[in-house]
Amino acid sequence: MDILPQLLVNALISGSIYALASSGLSLTYGLLKILNFAHGHFMMIGAYAVYFAFHMMGWGWLGSVAFSVGASLLVGWLSLRIFIFPFRTLHPLLPFVTTLTLGTILESAVAMIFGVNVKSISPSASIDSIEIAGIFITPIQIVIIGSAIGLLSLLAFFIHSTAAGRKIRALAQHEHAAESISISSGRTVTMVFLCATLLTAYSGVLVGMETNVQPTMGSSYTIKAFAAMILGGLGNVWGTVAGSFILGLVENLSIGIDFFGYSLPAGYKDAFAFVIILGVLLFRPQGMFGSKLRVA
Amino acid sequence: MSALIEFFVRGQEYFIHLGILICIYLILAQSFNLSFGVARIFNLAHVAAYALGAYATALLSTDYGRGFFVCTIASMCVSALLAVLLGAIALRLTQDYFAIGTLAFSAVISALLINWKSLTRGVLGIPGIPRPEILDIDFYANRNFLMLAALMALATLIILHRLFRASYGRQLRAQGESELVSLALGIPTRMLRNLSFVIASSFAGLAGSLFAYYMNYIDPSSFALHEMVFVLTIVVVGRPGSFFGVVGSTFLLVLLPEPLRFMEIPSSILGPMRQMIYALILFAVVYVNRYRLFPVQRTV
Repeated sequence: MDILPQLLVNALISGSIYALASSGLSLTYGLLKILNFAHGHFMMIGAYAVYFAFHMMGWGWLGSVAFSVGASLLVGWLSLRIFIFPFRTLHPLLPFVTTLTLGTILESAVAMIFGVNVKSISPSASIDSIEIAGIFITPIQIVIIGSAIGLLSLLAFFIHSTAAGRKIRALAQHEHAAESISISSGRTVTMVFLCATLLTAYSGVLVGMETNVQPTMGSSYTIKAFAAMILGGLGNVWGTVAGSFILGLVENLSIGIDFFGYSLPAGYKDAFAFVIILGVLLFRPQGMFGSKLRVA
Repeated sequence: MSALIEFFVRGQEYFIHLGILICIYLILAQSFNLSFGVARIFNLAHVAAYALGAYATALLSTDYGRGFFVCTIASMCVSALLAVLLGAIALRLTQDYFAIGTLAFSAVISALLINWKSLTRGVLGIPGIPRPEILDIDFYANRNFLMLAALMALATLIILHRLFRASYGRQLRAQGESELVSLALGIPTRMLRNLSFVIASSFAGLAGSLFAYYMNYIDPSSFALHEMVFVLTIVVVGRPGSFFGVVGSTFLLVLLPEPLRFMEIPSSILGPMRQMIYALILFAVVYVNRYRLFPVQRTV
C-alpha cells in the first residue's frame, strides 16, 4: 500500500495546527518586535481551561467555550501588562527572558493544579475514523483543517481589508510614523495580542482533542512556532503560515519515507523543527520569503 | 537518646547532600557567569553541555569501567567540543537570534538523549553509575564525596576567579560593552567569545560529571529547560559579571526552597512549586534591574 497520500494528509493536519498556533506569534512579533517564549503556553492554557470546565465541572459546551475564552483573554492581558509592556522599549533580550519566566510560571501552575499526567479532552472515548479513497481521517481532523482555512481567511480579510488591519500594518511598518498620525499603539497592540492569544488557545484546544494535553506541551509548541516563523521570515504572517505547512510536511515525510532502506525513528520527528531553526538562521536569516536582510 | 543520635546522623547526611548540590551548582553557575555575565553571551545551551558531561561520565564509567580522571576529562572535552560546534554555528548570530539558536541546539541535544536509545537508553536513563575511586581512596560515602566535590568546586572557582581578573576577563568585559570600541583597540573579539564559550561549557561538563557520579543515575528529565531557568536565576540574582555575587546567590538559591521539604506538601506539587518560585524570583529581579541587566549598547 502506498502511504504517501496518507502522509500528505497528515502533513496537512499538523501544518494546519502549526499555522493556527504560529500566525499569532508572527502577528505579535510584527508589532511588538519581541519573541514571546510563552506563546505555546497559551495553547496549554486554552486546552486546560476546556479540560477544567468540560470534564471537571461539567459545564457543557457553551459554558466551556465561554470559560476558555475568558481564561485565555485574562491570562493574555495580564501577561501583556506585566511581562511584556514594562520591557518593550528596552533591550530585545529582556522580554525574551521575562516571557521565559512567564512560560515557566504558567507551566508549573498548571502542573500544580492539574498534575503532570497526560490528560485527554476529547468529547468521547473513541472516535471512528472515516476512510476516503484509502486515507483515514477523523472528524476532529476535518475540523482542524476547516478551522485553519476559515480562521486564516478571516485573519487575511481582517488584516488586509479593514480599517483596524490597516492600522496594524501601519504600526508594523513604522511605529512612530503611525503614532504621529494618531494611531494608538498601545490599544492596537493590546487588541492584536489578545486576538493572537485567542487563536493560539483555540489551536491548543484542537491539539488537546486530536491528541492529548500535558503541562510540558507549551515549550515544545513555542519552539515549533519559532521554527515556522523563522522559516517564513520574522513578523511575516503569510510567510509564517507557509513555514508552518512546510514544517508539517518535513516532519511527516521525514519519518514516513525510507531513505535507502533506513527510516528515522518517529521520536526524531520533533527534532526537525530545531534543525530547521539552526539551518535557516545560518544560511538564510531573513527567512525563506524575506527579501531584506536584517541588519546586525 | 538513640532517637536524638539518629536525628543528628540523618541531619548530617542531609547537610552533606546540600553541600554536594551547592558544589555542583557553584561550578555550573559560575561558568555560566563567565559567558553570560562577563562576555554577555546569552547561551541557553549551557545545560546541554552539562547534560553531555553527565552522559559522557555515565557511559564511560558504566559501559567501559573507566576511572575518575578519564571520565571527568572526557566529559570536559565532550562539552568543550559541543561549544566549538555551537560556537561555529551560533556565535555568528546576535542577541535574540543567538538565544533562539542555542535554545534550538539544546533541544536537538535533548531529542538525541531521549531518542538515541541504543546509547542513552532514552527516558529510562542510565542507572548504576559507580562512585569514583582515586589511588585507593574511595568516595563511596557521601561524606567523602563532598570532599571531592568541594575540591573540584574550589579548583574551578580559583581558575575562574583568575580568569575574571586577568586581562582576558577585562577584554571579555570590554567586548561585551562595545564590540566596535574593543575591535578598534585591537581585541580579537570573535576569538575571545569562542574561547569563553569553550571554557564555560567544559566546566559545565565537569559539573555534569560530578552530578552523574553523585546521583548514580541520570535521565534526560534532569536537564530540561527549567534547569536552565534555575542557572539563569542564580546568575541574575547574583548580578551577572560579579564573581562573589554569584557565589552568594548559589548558596542562597540552592538552600531557599529547602524549608518547603519540611512542610506537608506532596512531592508531585513540590517540583512545580520549586520551579515557580525560581521563575518568580527571576522575574522580580529582572523587573527591578530592567534598566541595568541588558544595557542598551552605548553609542559613541
